Amino acid sequence: MADEQKPGGSEAPLPAGGEAAGQPARPSPPKPAAAPPKPPATMAATPWESDLARELKERFGGEIGETSTYLGQNFIVARPEAAIPILEYLKLEADFDYLVDITAVDWPKRPERFDLVYIVYSFPRNERVRIKIHIPDGYQPETAVGVHLTANWLEREVFDMFGIEFAGHPDMRRILMPEDWQGHPLRKDYSILQQDQRWVQENLGIESGQ
Amino acid sequence: MPDSTFLDSTELVLNMGPQHPSTHGVLRVILKLDGEKILGTDCVIGYLHRGVEKIAENRTWAQFNPYVDRMDYVASVSNGLGYCLAVEKLLNVEVPPRAQAVRVILTELNRIASHLVWLGTHALDIGAITPVFYCFREREEALNIFEKYCGARLTTHAFRIGGLEYETYEGFEQDVKAFCDMFPPKVDQYEDLLTGNRIWVGRLTNVGVLTADECKEYGVTGPLLRAAGVKWDLRKAQPYSGYDKYDFEIPIRHNGDTYDRYIVRMQEMRQSVRIVRQAVESLPEGPILGKVAKVIKPAVGEAYVSIEAPKGELGYYVVSDGSTQPYRVRVRPPSFVNLQALDRMVRGGLVADIVAVIGTLDIVLGEVDR
Amino acid sequence: MSAGKLFRKIFLVDLFQGLSVTFRYQKPKYIVTEQYPAERPKVAERYRGAPRLNTNPENGETLCIACNLCALACPENLIVVGSERNEQTRRKELTTFTYDLSRCMFCGLCEDACPVDALELTQDFELASYSREGLIWDRQMLEEGPRPTQYKC
Repeated sequence: MADEQKPGGSEAPLPAGGEAAGQPARPSPPKPAAAPPKPPATMAATPWESDLARELKERFGGEIGETSTYLGQNFIVARPEAAIPILEYLKLEADFDYLVDITAVDWPKRPERFDLVYIVYSFPRNERVRIKIHIPDGYQPETAVGVHLTANWLEREVFDMFGIEFAGHPDMRRILMPEDWQGHPLRKDYSILQQDQRWVQENLGIESGQ
Repeated sequence: MPDSTFLDSTELVLNMGPQHPSTHGVLRVILKLDGEKILGTDCVIGYLHRGVEKIAENRTWAQFNPYVDRMDYVASVSNGLGYCLAVEKLLNVEVPPRAQAVRVILTELNRIASHLVWLGTHALDIGAITPVFYCFREREEALNIFEKYCGARLTTHAFRIGGLEYETYEGFEQDVKAFCDMFPPKVDQYEDLLTGNRIWVGRLTNVGVLTADECKEYGVTGPLLRAAGVKWDLRKAQPYSGYDKYDFEIPIRHNGDTYDRYIVRMQEMRQSVRIVRQAVESLPEGPILGKVAKVIKPAVGEAYVSIEAPKGELGYYVVSDGSTQPYRVRVRPPSFVNLQALDRMVRGGLVADIVAVIGTLDIVLGEVDR
Repeated sequence: MSAGKLFRKIFLVDLFQGLSVTFRYQKPKYIVTEQYPAERPKVAERYRGAPRLNTNPENGETLCIACNLCALACPENLIVVGSERNEQTRRKELTTFTYDLSRCMFCGLCEDACPVDALELTQDFELASYSREGLIWDRQMLEEGPRPTQYKC
């Protein structure tokens, strides 16, 4: 079964348990008149069975939406309020002491627009787990700085690029863009050619950067 | 008679601005000083932000390949390897063994080249002016091999999704073997110059100490973690691209100070030569490109793949929505995360130590800012 | 401190060890510095330099079949291939070919995409100019190559 899979490595020919079977329940497409609209393709993830998944489900119960694995990489989808307790639990009880990354993905068509992803790694187990939470625009998730100090700049970057503010962060300001830039570049409604014209004109003295 | 507070020093805020010879790029560090002692630092980055992640959403999978070289521009082959491995994982493509071996050779040569730049510039910042010339002379040999193989020295674009584009050129094996023979005596020369040198030792010991627990808290990886005593290298822990076939050691030290990181990187260079020699002697025959369609369209899904870049753990989190363009490519740069630890490493030290610590962190601003 | 260590400390043995490396290079076996521009570097055959549209050496016709694959492969979309259909041979013929060198990053994807080896990146790396004009190359420039001013040194 899809036990503690070691992610990474391109020689793994096929993920165990992911032989293109076991697609989770697709949203059943309503069939109006002529041609039924094709349901949007979803990730062919399969359930993740392992001791860790079971412990997490026991401890957190309904807070965890699904524990799945795709291509040998395990991830859990949780409720937004449960993200920090899960990180704490993983760090203290399950030896996941290294926060690899915090990032976000923007799905503008969903009501829960952003997918906030935490990736943690455990040195003793040599295993990586992803924790995903779906949050709407304007929601302020709790900061992970109390659990892992790495989260400081990583959350600043998520704020800078997506506009997701983290409640309780010691230093919530932009990190890559200039301090007074308006707009959050990695959102899907921010075009690649778009710029903060006011900032460009004030600070660079030119009409436009294009 | 002036009062007793006359000789008290006040806090000075000094700007180590974006243009500075020792910051290895456009890094701005705002220092709070009390005389020469550092009370706190604040890093301002973003001067080299080019929006690589946004660009990824507007190019096809194969077209984005040249852009990743530009992030860690000192060791561009590693960036390309990480990206190609991530997309190959999404596509579930198997890379043929010959391509894997050539990838390992080029990646390890690129690790040597990156460590040579680190050594040259770090020594230059500390004050030793000679090593930089010697390091760049050896780097020329490695870059010549890159040039003969893929056509460019710095932004190599050496790998393609699924394997390699170019077959190795005539004389590739001889060149690589000649490099392996030429290089270890040169490392001995650098060690003669620096390792026992009292000025070097005095400047680097007990500077920028980061213990193993602090490293894990701050998410610091790479030679910094290994100098603190944690024997962890992604090439051994989660091997990729055939690294498990080669026999090499992971150098570790225990103090976690700058001198230990220097020793770790020197020994890593020697271990890299060992890997390259093994790879080139056992180079298998066969195809160089796996079964990849002309138009790359991975299934809907996501993957996180990370490699042991010369600077630390370089990770790529790729999200695909089934189309020909990536939906999201997130690059987890090792230098960005390592740079957070700068504040902890320098607190309580002197101004001269900031230069040593920035050098030992081995940051490349192209990667920090993307 | 032991006698050996004391000796090394007072007589600066470690510093002299380093200096011996440096002084050995006063008579180097070979000199690495290339005196550019008098000596040009020998560039590799696969070097990705200035682009060139190859022509058939026998009859001087262009090898390009106007398939547009290079334009599709370019990450920066800076190639524009103009073609017209020749009614007699029923094939497309190349009319105009524009290459914007100012935005090119010399990645080589266009060279890899060309099925007939018409577009090739040559070994010419001396492409610097004082202004952006003249960096959008048309077909003639691409086929013949830039003629840089030669200075006598």
